Amino acid sequence: MSRLGYLLRRILLAIPVVIFGTSLTFLIIRLGPIDPAAAIVGSPDTPSAQAQYEETREQLGLTQPLWEQYIEFMTDLLLFNLGQSWVLSPGAGTYDLILTYAPRTLWLGFWSILIAVCLGIPLGFYAGLNPNTRADYLVSFGGIVWRAMPNFWLAIILLALFAQSQQYFFGFNWSGFLVESEVTGAYDFSDITTWDGFVREFKRVFPAALVLGSASMGNEVRIGRTAVLETINSNYVETAKAKGVSAKKIVWKHVFRNALIPLVPVITSEAFLLIGGAVLVEVVFGINGLGYLFFQAVINGDLPLVASLMYVFILVLVGVNILQDVLYTIIDPRVGLEEGGA
Amino acid sequence: MSTDNTDDAGAVLVEDFEDRPIRERIAENPRPAAIWALGFAALVAVQFGAIAGVLVNSIPWGTLLGPFPPIPGSGSVNAAGQWVADLPTLLSRELVPNEGYYVPGEGWQETFLGLSPALAWAFRVVLVYAYAAAFVAWIWYAYVLFRRHYRYADWTPRDDVVARLRTHRWGQFGLVIVLAFVVMALFAPVLATAPLEQNIVDPYSNTIEYYDNGAGEVVETTAGDANRESASRGGDSNVGPMSYDNYDRFHPLGTMPSGQDLFTFMVFGARVSLLIGLLSLAISSVAAAALALFGAYYKGKLDLSFVLISDSVQAMPRLLLLVLLSVVLANTWIGGLYSGAVVLALIFGATGWPALWRAVRGPALQVADREWIDAARSYGQASTTTMRRHMLPYILGYLLIYASMTLGGIIVGVAGLSFLGLGVDSPTPEWGRAINAGQDYVTTSSWHISLMPGIFIVLVVTAFNALGDGIRDAIDPQSDGGGDADEAAAGGTGA
Repeated sequence: MSRLGYLLRRILLAIPVVIFGTSLTFLIIRLGPIDPAAAIVGSPDTPSAQAQYEETREQLGLTQPLWEQYIEFMTDLLLFNLGQSWVLSPGAGTYDLILTYAPRTLWLGFWSILIAVCLGIPLGFYAGLNPNTRADYLVSFGGIVWRAMPNFWLAIILLALFAQSQQYFFGFNWSGFLVESEVTGAYDFSDITTWDGFVREFKRVFPAALVLGSASMGNEVRIGRTAVLETINSNYVETAKAKGVSAKKIVWKHVFRNALIPLVPVITSEAFLLIGGAVLVEVVFGINGLGYLFFQAVINGDLPLVASLMYVFILVLVGVNILQDVLYTIIDPRVGLEEGGA
Repeated sequence: MSTDNTDDAGAVLVEDFEDRPIRERIAENPRPAAIWALGFAALVAVQFGAIAGVLVNSIPWGTLLGPFPPIPGSGSVNAAGQWVADLPTLLSRELVPNEGYYVPGEGWQETFLGLSPALAWAFRVVLVYAYAAAFVAWIWYAYVLFRRHYRYADWTPRDDVVARLRTHRWGQFGLVIVLAFVVMALFAPVLATAPLEQNIVDPYSNTIEYYDNGAGEVVETTAGDANRESASRGGDSNVGPMSYDNYDRFHPLGTMPSGQDLFTFMVFGARVSLLIGLLSLAISSVAAAALALFGAYYKGKLDLSFVLISDSVQAMPRLLLLVLLSVVLANTWIGGLYSGAVVLALIFGATGWPALWRAVRGPALQVADREWIDAARSYGQASTTTMRRHMLPYILGYLLIYASMTLGGIIVGVAGLSFLGLGVDSPTPEWGRAINAGQDYVTTSSWHISLMPGIFIVLVVTAFNALGDGIRDAIDPQSDGGGDADEAAAGGTGA
């Protein structure tokens, strides 16, 4: 099977997943006890409120039979007719909301992946190249503990440390370092292209990104270490050694490239944690990104917005999944195209 | 050969005595078993009051037996039951009381042997853990006795598993911490420095006594008033770890911003976390095992449909799905059970099975290809019997490994939801709520409120991961890190 055929097959298999996942969302939202109309206009206790309530029900299509609602819900979403917010910011289109909130989450996600990769993989490889030394134990144990820390707790601790850095880092002032910046609050991208603006936003995203990437960084350390250990002991490395290839070349050309393979799913699966886990980090750091938007929509009963956001998340995650499988076939030709389905 | 006793599998000698049930083997050589039973009875006897207390008082006999006509003499049965439940038990607050007050010149009053509350409490904690250690050791001794006296086989594959676990220090570290955590949850009322009801649930209806220096006499006050005066809110208003408040109450981990004892909060929080973890794991394990077995046995379309369903559940970000479900279900009747803990367990179970199922699907597919499955099929064995007898034992080990590794993630997830205010509600203590309560005081003198629960969580989660590593290396020494990638993908909720 060609790679293109494989890609097509994966996309074909993803369609029922998207449909089924969206249907599950519909079930959860509609069969639960939350009344979307009541959430919008309040409980109907006066006649005028009652009339408004009925009107809202009509507008939301809640008066139709459930299966018609379902079909309408599904066709709207599948045609990317994502509707609008009803409670959180009434009248605002879902697209506009996503466009406003998403850049902050993307900025956070981008750095949390990059920082985790840049720190985790070298540390893991270093530990793998020097197995059973004190440095190895330190790195491995640090990775395990770092991974076990709950994000929201780590966020609180780091927030406190960075906010009062003079007290804890021997007088080092994080807020005033290079450029003046706040530790919490939403990001401001208006002058991101200037040096000062970039440094300021980087400084602001750094603690949050460190937290959000913590779990995957721990995984990268751990898996990077085992991967290097496994490749070092493999036959082709022995052969290269016997041929007299220099140690440097062995490490860079033969060990690292192959050790990267098992790290691919770790990095891509981080997308799942980023979208989901961003809620807690965004709440603690006061970043109003997508996770925060979803959380607010849920607790305020803005169910139409919740459904649309969930649909977008499902699409993103399914897309990342496909990307991961395709990446696999490019990096490691041994991965079978036939059995890689599902 | 008996089919139930897998220990027979390794026996080479097939003679009729192997079919004899364990009862007869014990009857032949009763001494070791009798000694063991005696010791076990002694261990149970010292705690008999507590065990009976759970049976008599925790189960609503009145509602259970309500529909039946009153049995003559049930009044005396009730009285006897209550008498049994009130028997003194070794591990109880009453036997080793730690709540007392200091009268100048006379020393500590109403505490165990006149010790200080700190020492009395520490003594009770040591007693609980010593008892638990003895209990675990005695169970282990039963296995040793069984191997030495009652098992015919000199060697079974399980012996190797045990032997590998005995040299696995990392796994043992996990096991010890996990056991300590379980004991903490089981014995929460005994370990706590103050009763839950008095200190946390209803402090204004309960009174405590203390010695008022100004008045020069012992005064009674409500626990709520005392809590208010012992609050940890940073600055001067702080009762830190290992210190006394003004009411002579000892706080091993300090107090919360509400003045409640953090340690009491933690031990009862452990109870809720463990309950949610185990209940949700039970749900998702049963679902995962059933789907893996049916999918592997019938293959084809059935397996593909399972793949689609699990992919769909996993296509939703787990934490956001948990947030959504816990908000949607919060106002239903089930949301009110045990301050929302039961509904959390259901939610975690319903969203957690795909990860577990993915972990056991591979092994299930492997075992389904073996000849003995074909043989069983052609022999005409019912499909469910084949799955239960010949496939399930093979995947149980994998299920155990991943269940252990998932449990840590569930504990973090529950704490995360509670942190957001969506999980376990007040008054039931939960670790995430303690972290939330201390959020504003991290850099103040009341740093302990957020820090301590976080350290507990890190320790417990690491321990469950370590235990999972240990079990994996013990069951399947060849795997050696091969499962890391799956585990990374399966683990955690992102909380």
